[in-house]
Amino acid sequence: MNLATSPLASPAATTHSRLTQTWAMSKRSIFAIARQPALVVPSLIFPLFFAALGASAFNKATALPGFPRVDSFLDFALAGNIVQGVLFGSVTGGTALATDIELGFFDRLLASPTSRVSILLGRLAGAAAFGGFQALFFTLALMPFGVSIAAGPVGLLVVVLSGATIATAFGGFTAAMALKTGSSEAVQGSFPLLFIALFFSSAFFPRETMRGNYRTIADVNPVSHLVEGMRGLVVEGLTAANVAKALLVPAAIGAVSITLALRTLSSRLASR
Amino acid sequence: MSTMLSHAEQAPGGGVLRTSVGIAGRSVRTIVRLPSAFFPSVLMPIFQAIAFSGTYFAITLIPGFPTDRSMNWFLPLACLMGSGFAGVGLGLTTIRDLESGFFDRLRMAPTPRLSLLLGPLLSCWFRVIILVTVVLGVGLAFGGRLTDGVLGLFTVYVAALGIATMGAGWALGLAYRFGDMRAAALMQLTLFNALFLTNAQTPLNVMTGWLHSIARVNPITNVLRLARQGFLGEVTWHDSWGGLVAILVLGGLTLLFAQTGLRRLNQR
Amino acid sequence: MSSSAAPIIAQGLVRHFGSGDGAIRAVDGVDLSVAEGEIFGFLGPNGAGKSTTVRMLTTLLTPTAGSARVAGFDVVTQANDVRRSIGVALQDAAIDPLMSGRELLNLQAVLYGINPASVKARADELLERVGLTEAAERRVGTYSGGMRRRLDLALSLIHQPTVLFLDEPTTGLDPMSRITLWEEVRRLNREGTTVLLTTQYLEEADQLADRVAIIDHGLIVRQGTPAELKAGIGAPTLIIAVAAHVSQTAAAVLAPFGEMRPTAEGTLGVGLAGGSKAVAEVVRALDEAGIELHHLELHEPSLDDVFAEATGHRLEGAGDAGPKTEDDAAPKPEKGRRKRR
Repeated sequence: MNLATSPLASPAATTHSRLTQTWAMSKRSIFAIARQPALVVPSLIFPLFFAALGASAFNKATALPGFPRVDSFLDFALAGNIVQGVLFGSVTGGTALATDIELGFFDRLLASPTSRVSILLGRLAGAAAFGGFQALFFTLALMPFGVSIAAGPVGLLVVVLSGATIATAFGGFTAAMALKTGSSEAVQGSFPLLFIALFFSSAFFPRETMRGNYRTIADVNPVSHLVEGMRGLVVEGLTAANVAKALLVPAAIGAVSITLALRTLSSRLASR
Repeated sequence: MSTMLSHAEQAPGGGVLRTSVGIAGRSVRTIVRLPSAFFPSVLMPIFQAIAFSGTYFAITLIPGFPTDRSMNWFLPLACLMGSGFAGVGLGLTTIRDLESGFFDRLRMAPTPRLSLLLGPLLSCWFRVIILVTVVLGVGLAFGGRLTDGVLGLFTVYVAALGIATMGAGWALGLAYRFGDMRAAALMQLTLFNALFLTNAQTPLNVMTGWLHSIARVNPITNVLRLARQGFLGEVTWHDSWGGLVAILVLGGLTLLFAQTGLRRLNQR
Repeated sequence: MSSSAAPIIAQGLVRHFGSGDGAIRAVDGVDLSVAEGEIFGFLGPNGAGKSTTVRMLTTLLTPTAGSARVAGFDVVTQANDVRRSIGVALQDAAIDPLMSGRELLNLQAVLYGINPASVKARADELLERVGLTEAAERRVGTYSGGMRRRLDLALSLIHQPTVLFLDEPTTGLDPMSRITLWEEVRRLNREGTTVLLTTQYLEEADQLADRVAIIDHGLIVRQGTPAELKAGIGAPTLIIAVAAHVSQTAAAVLAPFGEMRPTAEGTLGVGLAGGSKAVAEVVRALDEAGIELHHLELHEPSLDDVFAEATGHRLEGAGDAGPKTEDDAAPKPEKGRRKRR
């Protein structure tokens, strides 16, 4: 029996083994996150702290002209806090990949029969799972304080999916950085960039209340649009426009970032 | 020995001032030799001033807000945040010195123990003065306006140096007690909380709920009030004394925390 | 010095870390006395208590119990007087990589209160002495390990101390650098400096020290000149290697010739009471017992033998003639525990 006629060579078997490998890599990625509470706490606790601060500091701001009609500032803030937590968490995933590269574990994976794409997709699947979890966690944590999702249970599902998609999208960028530099320190250096992207958007305050160049930047910043999609589900209700913004914007970003990550992976493999 | 030091050449151990300046000089030299370590500490407060004043531009429209310029409200906060984290930065470099053994070199010298605190503190103040000057310059270029001239600037510097001293004392005390980077997260988190559980984002008369209850009694609220005077109106004793007392008391307590930590190094 | 007492005296020096049953007894009652103008070697494996003892004598660590006087001053109550009189080069050459050699010397001069007018001349002299004049203006981060150690030595001499402490001064150095440093230590001693040096290298203690104290588990187990200590062992050690299944029989054959001694795994060792001329008889006895010898060697006593005889285990192999890297020599600190022993 040679390789050409071996059952292992059939397309169905190849796809099956790829899926199995991706699942195995995903599990590893998820467990790795769960086993590092010190990394996870900043992406869960910090946004809640900001939410609590904002609820007290800016409650009177909800009456400002240009502010969406909400029952409380927390209703407004939920989407921004979810996105904040997810973005910070995406740095964790990229750092973990860079650490794998630094410690040589990544080379060991490459030397195994694991498909290269599975290695990357598994990593991103872990990020997606955590992003979805964060969206659910923040919503449930703030519900006792009066937050409710106008779009109902379906809206909550879309919010969770949106969290997962955003995590995948930005996880692709941090993965590309990890594959390019092989340095966890370099990936962590992207943290300020995400922070800037977050602040120069409508994550924390409505774009309608901003002015000048700052408003212009917030208008074109994709983070504004994916936050507003999610926010629309919380504040306005289940509309096609809100669902589209909440899912399609991060999906489009993800298409770019995953392509970039795959290209970076290829060039890393080619240079070995 | 080919040359014996005579009594004329030897002093009985370096005096406090000379040794403190010598130790401070080392840190100042680092700013020039490793600017990449210093730039983030200046860029971060600049970013904060621009980001906060841009994002929360409209809060000046809330009834009762003391100014119509968001930069006037957030610029002093950014200066104090930068200064507080400069103090924390001193704790981080001290941890590195402890881990490398360089701190042992300082401890084995016959210098007064006071210089081991005063020297680093002097370098921290030097950094803060540079940092605040740059941040104020950028903030004024981005729309901030002084309302009481040079006196208003002076109160920002006093508040900044006060916060830096508190941050430094606290961070040094933690550095001496932990001796490694586990203290870093604690230093940063506590400082962040101390600065934000105040009238950092909105004035007391605008905020509601739990934050109001804490901010009312948090002494850092008074320090922020001291710093903001020159951007909100006139500098008055009424709005200054609370901040000055907070600086003296908290500064003294945190430096005492540092000093007792330094003494405990002899037990490790 | 305040009196004509020995430059270094320790009595019942103890240092524990932690308390209760979990307390680590890093130094458990050390008595020593170093005479003026002596080079005193403190020999022991990693973790024996050498560095902890030095840290107490150099005022970095407060003793849990006992007392010590250095240069005539009490290390606890007259700490600054002690510091003025001693030079110290610790296990890590703790220097700032961003500073140049000259800048570090200048800082050291400030810390020790050297008159500003004489600092440059003093620094020049020391740089010349340790062979770093050419590298003086370069940042220390560019120096090799040997250069850092030499700079560390220069720093410890800036104020012309009468007593010098060197904590594992040649750990991690190549053989040439080690020999250079030994030469410098001898020269300093000829000029009148009392030296206490800690080491885990037998050869270093043997070559340099006038007297040696062997420390293990926080206690001094032997003390004396290298010659005295080796003579105290007396008999040379015969080491043989035989097949594993006959090793017990071989041990029984060896036993009448003297005291059995601990040796490397897979070998047997006996101290020959009859001296080296008993070797032939041992070989004959083994032959008559039908035991085939795979290997045989004769060791004159070394400090490692002294150590083995005193402690039941060998010094060489305990750290394999020293740590592989300087990181091994200084375990990372844990909360509440000492940094080095």
